[in-house]
Amino acid sequence: MTDFLALPQPTPVNNTWAAPVLAAGFALVLGVAAFVLVIRARRGIRTTSDFLLADRTIGPGRNALAMVGGGLMYSTVIIIAGHVALSGFDAILLLTAFTMSTVLATLIYAGPVRNVGGYTLGDLFALRARERSARTASAVLTLVVYTMFMIAVLASIGLAASRMFSTSSTASTPFVATVIAVVGAVAILFVYLGGMPGVTRVLVLKVCLFIVLVAVLSVIIMVKYRMNLFHLLNDAQAKAAPNPRGDLLSPGRLFGKGATFASHQDPWVHLSKIFSVAAGALGIPFLFMRFFVATSGRDARRSAASASMIAVAFWQCLIILGLGATAILGGKNIGKAWDTRDITLPKLADNLGGKWMSGALGGVALLSVGTLFAVLLLNAVTAVVKDVNAARGRQLEPAAELKSIRRSVVVIGVLSIVVGTALAPLLTHIFIPTAIDLGGTCVLPAVVYSLFWRRFNTRGLQWTIYGGLALILLMVVFSNGVSGDPANAMFPHVNFKFIDFEPGLVGVPAGFLLGLIGTLTSRERNDAAFAEMRVRSLTGAVIHARPERPATDGALSDRKYQNQALTETH
Amino acid sequence: MATVSRTEVSDRYLAVYESARFATLRRRSNALIAWASALFYGWWLLVIFLAAFVPSFFRLRLVGPINVGLLSVFLSLNFVVVVSAVYLRLARTRLDPISEQIQADLEGDQ
Repeated sequence: MTDFLALPQPTPVNNTWAAPVLAAGFALVLGVAAFVLVIRARRGIRTTSDFLLADRTIGPGRNALAMVGGGLMYSTVIIIAGHVALSGFDAILLLTAFTMSTVLATLIYAGPVRNVGGYTLGDLFALRARERSARTASAVLTLVVYTMFMIAVLASIGLAASRMFSTSSTASTPFVATVIAVVGAVAILFVYLGGMPGVTRVLVLKVCLFIVLVAVLSVIIMVKYRMNLFHLLNDAQAKAAPNPRGDLLSPGRLFGKGATFASHQDPWVHLSKIFSVAAGALGIPFLFMRFFVATSGRDARRSAASASMIAVAFWQCLIILGLGATAILGGKNIGKAWDTRDITLPKLADNLGGKWMSGALGGVALLSVGTLFAVLLLNAVTAVVKDVNAARGRQLEPAAELKSIRRSVVVIGVLSIVVGTALAPLLTHIFIPTAIDLGGTCVLPAVVYSLFWRRFNTRGLQWTIYGGLALILLMVVFSNGVSGDPANAMFPHVNFKFIDFEPGLVGVPAGFLLGLIGTLTSRERNDAAFAEMRVRSLTGAVIHARPERPATDGALSDRKYQNQALTETH
Repeated sequence: MATVSRTEVSDRYLAVYESARFATLRRRSNALIAWASALFYGWWLLVIFLAAFVPSFFRLRLVGPINVGLLSVFLSLNFVVVVSAVYLRLARTRLDPISEQIQADLEGDQ
């Protein structure tokens, strides 16, 4: 048993870049700034809708920034830059997959989902399936994704702490645990006080800081190369550590045979990772939540489109940073091992801008992962308060509901920190790709069917959500993230893996197939509900209950309403 | 408040759904989404499959250090911007006028 739990020792690094005092100073200043934003947001919170949805008053500009901010995490910024520096072209392709998934949000999710209204995915599902089943499915999915993501995000707070707030060559467990507890507690406080309005403001702050930081570093690199991108690319290519599978700037380093440890599944392994991210990233419930808070369906669509443009600019800068790191630091001096890729960006920041830049990156990174925990927590609380209560048939008084929400924030938050800190020493990074797989396997088919397929029903929904969930979790258990890979697995000393590719590759088509079979084997169908959902999702129209209603109206007398509408708008 | 029954609301949505105006909106919206998704994700799947299975094609040098692979990545990223911008524009000009009318009709009648 002790052998089973023996933890892999992370590769020690010679930490020359960290500026702990400056980083702590930056983190403190940013924390205080964020706290001020949260306190100011708190004044406006009176109802449940204020707390959970900012009363749908978040305009397209801010919402676009917040959408991008939700996607910026330790793995998608710090680690991916090191990944590009090390693996070049193949890693760049993975990075562009993040932006590909934002198109899905613009084209399919944003407008209709906001138009339908509601607080969670469950509100959309409930239009197409029996209320209770729909709510339960939404709650189960959201809470499973929350648990996984929360563990990985708290672990990344620990990573940020040991890479950028300490000069030690290995992670010190008490130090890491303390930082996780402190940052986690601050995030809980932010959610407790500020709810959605507060968390959105902090997200906007975080994303602006990250954009400025990444833009400044890119400009410094480009100036170093006299604005000549070709020089930069040539230099990166020349200085990269040689790799038998390919040059830095061409495919092969991750696609080539032998790229995955003890596996015959290349190039499908890397291909499946790219596919899963593109299909699933925007289906993750805590990112999905951003559509609900927009002022209207049209604004949701606008914010999703702007978010994808900002994301393209941001990740294009990150490509420059990754390749710039190889060119400037040299292939031997960047993070070379799988678990040290995250030293590359801090090291580059230190090289380009000295200790102040390194400290700034540390401060922004810590704010960033802390905010992410806050966003996740808010999403989990929304699912509990709205979906779980609805599934159990509980209807709370408005005043009691707000109290219950804040209580849930504290209970779920504290519980999460305890679990997350305890699991931090394990290699739990596998949970992020798994959550993304669930976004593609469960959320994508369920939402597409809900929005477009007349026949879709309760059993179809359940088969998609529970079938997809079971399939993905089963595949993950037998994947190389859990066993069989000494450097990469959660339990490196045992080996029962036979799946190296990302489960989403099978999961996404399987999710669609499960929904299809489930739906067709059930006789339930509700054409009226489909018609209502379609009208609502395409127009945003909501018919409110009225005390009286003339007997002659109806949509047939179109012209009358049209005239009335015209006079109203003038 | 509770005198409007669920079925009445349902009937009105159904009536709009069956109107010719809504059919136009639905057809345009579906066509736009289908075309944009097919073009965009078709291109993207082509890029990643070529990278995985025909790496020699992506290794072909074009200008200086730029090879076919890097050019495809660059095009894909900018394709995201183009698709988003074009979709926003078409949605505003082709979908919004009808959907705003229908919304105003349904809600203005209250």
